[in-house]
Amino acid sequence: MKTSETRFKGMRDLPSAHLLGTGTAMCAGCGGLEVLHEIYDILGKKTVFVNAAGCMTLLSIYPFTPFRGSWIYTAMASAPAGAQGVRDALDTLKRKERMKPADDLKVVCLTGDGSAYGMGLSSTSAAIDRGLDFLYICYDNEGYGNTGQQFSAATPHGARTSTSMGPRGFPGSKKDLFSIWAANSPAYAATVAGAEPLDLARKIEKADTAKGPRLILALSPCPVGWGYDPKDSVEIGKLAVKTGIWPLKEYIDGKVVHTKIPKKRLPVEEYLKRQGRFAHLFEPVRKDDILKEIQAGVDAYWEGVEG
Amino acid sequence: MYRIRFHGRGGQGMKTASRILGTAFFIEAFEVQDAPIYGAERRGAPVFAYVRAGREAINERGAITNPDLVVVADDTLVPVPAAGVLRGVTENTVLIINSVEEPETWRERLNLTGPVVTMPGVKVGDAQEVRFTGVVSAAAAAAVTGVISKTSFEAAIREEIAPLGEAVVDENLKRGVEAFDLTVKNGVSIKEGSTVSAAAYKRPEWIELGFESAAISAPAIHSAATSERMKTGLWRTVRPVIDYDRCNRCWWLCSTFCPDGAISVNKEGFPEIDYEHCKGCMICMAQCPPHAISAEAEHGRKEGGDEA
Repeated sequence: MKTSETRFKGMRDLPSAHLLGTGTAMCAGCGGLEVLHEIYDILGKKTVFVNAAGCMTLLSIYPFTPFRGSWIYTAMASAPAGAQGVRDALDTLKRKERMKPADDLKVVCLTGDGSAYGMGLSSTSAAIDRGLDFLYICYDNEGYGNTGQQFSAATPHGARTSTSMGPRGFPGSKKDLFSIWAANSPAYAATVAGAEPLDLARKIEKADTAKGPRLILALSPCPVGWGYDPKDSVEIGKLAVKTGIWPLKEYIDGKVVHTKIPKKRLPVEEYLKRQGRFAHLFEPVRKDDILKEIQAGVDAYWEGVEG
Repeated sequence: MYRIRFHGRGGQGMKTASRILGTAFFIEAFEVQDAPIYGAERRGAPVFAYVRAGREAINERGAITNPDLVVVADDTLVPVPAAGVLRGVTENTVLIINSVEEPETWRERLNLTGPVVTMPGVKVGDAQEVRFTGVVSAAAAAAVTGVISKTSFEAAIREEIAPLGEAVVDENLKRGVEAFDLTVKNGVSIKEGSTVSAAAYKRPEWIELGFESAAISAPAIHSAATSERMKTGLWRTVRPVIDYDRCNRCWWLCSTFCPDGAISVNKEGFPEIDYEHCKGCMICMAQCPPHAISAEAEHGRKEGGDEA
């Protein structure tokens, strides 16, 4: 999409009034809530959220909800299955002419990374196979945040979590969920960050007009789980993009396109040293081997992009 | 049986306090329960944790409604009804409160007949001190029980803080022991509460609702954004304040970035902060291009959620 085709030409086109209600139980400085409110402003009220177990389950605790429309809670592995049911019910209502086509709703899965990268991946895969018309939003805070930040399949290499407390942190590597989706030819897939609201708005606009399985993978800095002051949530998100750790990209018309290529990438240290979950890489002794490993991984990724 | 309740805000270490105290009791050969609230433990939100310790098997379950000791790590929670700080407090309950104000002031203000002491060893309102609030709360509680030795208390700190590394353990030991000694000097002690048999349990104060159709019994089910009824401004310990002379009415970055949607933009293009819901994360201050937003401590204000 060229700039001329988007209604978000500049920052001033971003919404200045917000749809998501205040008063939710999310933590102060929650990166996931930030991204959700930015996305919801663009998607609009005509949505049904299908929420798998996670932090955001606490958004809607009867009788309180921040949404303007319906919300349904599913088990951790089952959000796409719930979305199928909601989609089918809406389609049935339309077919039987009990609902005007104009009153149709968008079906949106909302899950954390624990569900999107792990427990819910099987039902996601099946929904993609069936060509289900739904939008999948994953707020990725790189661990099971709601239960005390145990590692998940989205936890980056070397990060300390409550289940990787050793001196070298998490021994595994972050799963590449975006590529898993892209390999299955979805209608649309993109990575976003709340700290980059214009890029986000343009992507949600595109995802909104596509039909079929769509993914929005949103980096969601977590002050509690990642160990930093809540005021730095946006700064951490910006650093993830500037260091190249969180590439902003989209899968559209069969191709992966990078929407923001950092001109001169900052060293990954600039991102890592701001977070308690990586503090053991610097103190009491600097672990150069792990730092180099992380930097090399990022460099290799961008070499592949820039050619 | 000892029944002890810790009140604080998410992030002030109340869970850690209950773990340390519970472990210290355990080392002293008590039967122990310790548990934090689960599900709503959010940074800044009112939270509590509790410890039961008995010389025989403990049959009580759930949150403590008849505490022998209440430890309040943040005095701004006292006027917050949702925090339930004073729930079940009687003339036999000791109240330890982290406050710059005198115990006598709190006794009068809250019309308490039982002993009140201020928590020794943490500077109130100092952001750097927050990480020691948990251990100091545990120390004050352990000291007033009179049945936990300093050695057992130290062993409990070591056991509970160990995963955070030696340096953190050492800092916590130092601050914990300091607070333990200071509290002992105060000379206050708690009495062990009696065991209540199941037959004497009081029924919870249920409100009976007759069965009605959904339209009557759940009229709010289709209402939008009802979460706005929750005044999360009470979570805030610092408030962002906009200097409108410096605000250059940019592309409302503060409003876009505010996770809670607590900043709206008025007709003139100026942002306005909804203090009833602002949780005080201060992202707006950190991101404001002309640095027109500053931080003001909430401490000293009577209510967290009032308008500026």
